[in-house]
Amino acid sequence: MDVKSAMTRARRGLREERRLYVVAVTSLAVAFLCLGATLLGVTNLDAAATRWGHSGRITLFLKDDADPQDIAQLRVVLEGLGDVSEVTHVTPEQARASFLEEADVGADLGSLPSEVFPASLEVTLVNGVTRERSESIASRLGQFRAVSDVESYRGWFEKLDHLLWGARMLAAGLALLVVFCVVAVIGNTIRLAVARRRQEIEVMKLCGATNGFVRGPFVLEGMFQGFASALLAVLALLAGYLALHEPVDSTLAALTGSRIVFLSAWTMLALLLGGALIGAIGSALSVRRYLSV
Amino acid sequence: MQGTKVVRPFPFFRAGARASQPQLSKPILVLEDVYKFFRPDQPTLRGVNLLVDRGEFVFITGPSGAGKSTLLKLVYRELTVDEGRVLFCGRDIGRLTDGSVPFLRRNLGIVFQDFRIIDHWTVFENVAVALEILSIPQRLIRSRVAEALERVGLAGRGPEQTSNLSGGEKQRVAIARAIVPEPALILADEPTGNLDPHLAIDILTLFEEINATGTTVLFATHDHSLISKRDHRLVAIDEGRVVEAQKGLKHWPGSGIHTLVG
Repeated sequence: MDVKSAMTRARRGLREERRLYVVAVTSLAVAFLCLGATLLGVTNLDAAATRWGHSGRITLFLKDDADPQDIAQLRVVLEGLGDVSEVTHVTPEQARASFLEEADVGADLGSLPSEVFPASLEVTLVNGVTRERSESIASRLGQFRAVSDVESYRGWFEKLDHLLWGARMLAAGLALLVVFCVVAVIGNTIRLAVARRRQEIEVMKLCGATNGFVRGPFVLEGMFQGFASALLAVLALLAGYLALHEPVDSTLAALTGSRIVFLSAWTMLALLLGGALIGAIGSALSVRRYLSV
Repeated sequence: MQGTKVVRPFPFFRAGARASQPQLSKPILVLEDVYKFFRPDQPTLRGVNLLVDRGEFVFITGPSGAGKSTLLKLVYRELTVDEGRVLFCGRDIGRLTDGSVPFLRRNLGIVFQDFRIIDHWTVFENVAVALEILSIPQRLIRSRVAEALERVGLAGRGPEQTSNLSGGEKQRVAIARAIVPEPALILADEPTGNLDPHLAIDILTLFEEINATGTTVLFATHDHSLISKRDHRLVAIDEGRVVEAQKGLKHWPGSGIHTLVG
């Protein structure tokens, strides 16, 4: 196939069928936008999970009657561990004050006495400690006499894992749906274009054009439609991100400690190239049946 | 496409290649006992034998529905024979794979009654398409298209939109497209069918000029006024059988034109 000639003919085809292609590209851009938005959600959940996973914490709740010497000894042990970066002793009064400040509760709970809140040791782990390692440290610390309970936030991580798994499944399902939409829409668009250019195909075939020569411009047109739709979706997503990330970012940072991230360069590249590839496949499939002249 | 390998039957089938001396001595087209059925009990062509030498001008005639177009379609492989063989330059084209058919058609120029030119393309684009298929450089395409347009009397009209041309001019564009790749054989299927008698003679003369440069021409027509004006070899198809005369109607073996075209 002569690529230069195919590109010239594809340009001519795009020019002649521009209205049809504008409608197709717009419809496909919506499909890609749904996929892009889901991927953006997954990317951000991933980023949050990674951040939380890396900034590991363990809370050791102390017995009400714990001996201060035992607590001091426990602190020494903790500070000697290579995986621990910081240990903070939180007294019942500090716990109560922190609760009232963060929870924004009414006057009813404000009257709770300090004794309701147990004293604790907040253990911050160094970056990069795996969840398994964190679990193993937590179970060993639970055996100390002064410790009544250990919170390793395993439940949180499990919930987050479930959420991530669900989001990934949703993204995969949407990706499949988008592939189907792209193949169907581009296939039908190209089929319409082929029907309108049937005489051209017939003339070319009678002049000795190979199937590749005839198919070439249609494949390029499909490729362009897929690429343009994906590009439009990425640009729309970027515009939305730029418009919203400042107000959303501060809220999210306060709530979760992480900031919104945009799709990675690789994800964007995969969306654009994937769009082009699916477009090419869709048009190659739809033009096949018109080649028997 | 069948998915089988593409056979490029012999060098002559490649664009721009010239026939070798042994090939030049062979007839360009041979039909051997060809049968074509569209209905099992009624063959459109029955036992057709025909031999066309290189450089000949042959009229193919017969009433409408006699099988003229079918015969030509067998040559450019839009149809395949049910029995017998069609040999182009010695090669049985019925046995070519689908992938090889384009290489056969690159050696043929085909002209139709309904012109089959693309109205929203320019004259130049309509002619150039036959060379673009051969991946010829644009510079060469420009010069060869200009030359072809000059031969058909449309010099300098390349940029014009084809939709603005008259019927005769459209047919000239179609002829330019057929001759621009310098094919070995031109198949003209009722090329004057949509033209008035004066224009029909002009177009016939154009084909004769092309034939004078060495190109073989098969000219299918049912217009006996055209046939009667020339002394070319005449092949008549009637009820699927072929009768022929070497020197036009004057030497026709039957009892006159009416036995010929019905």
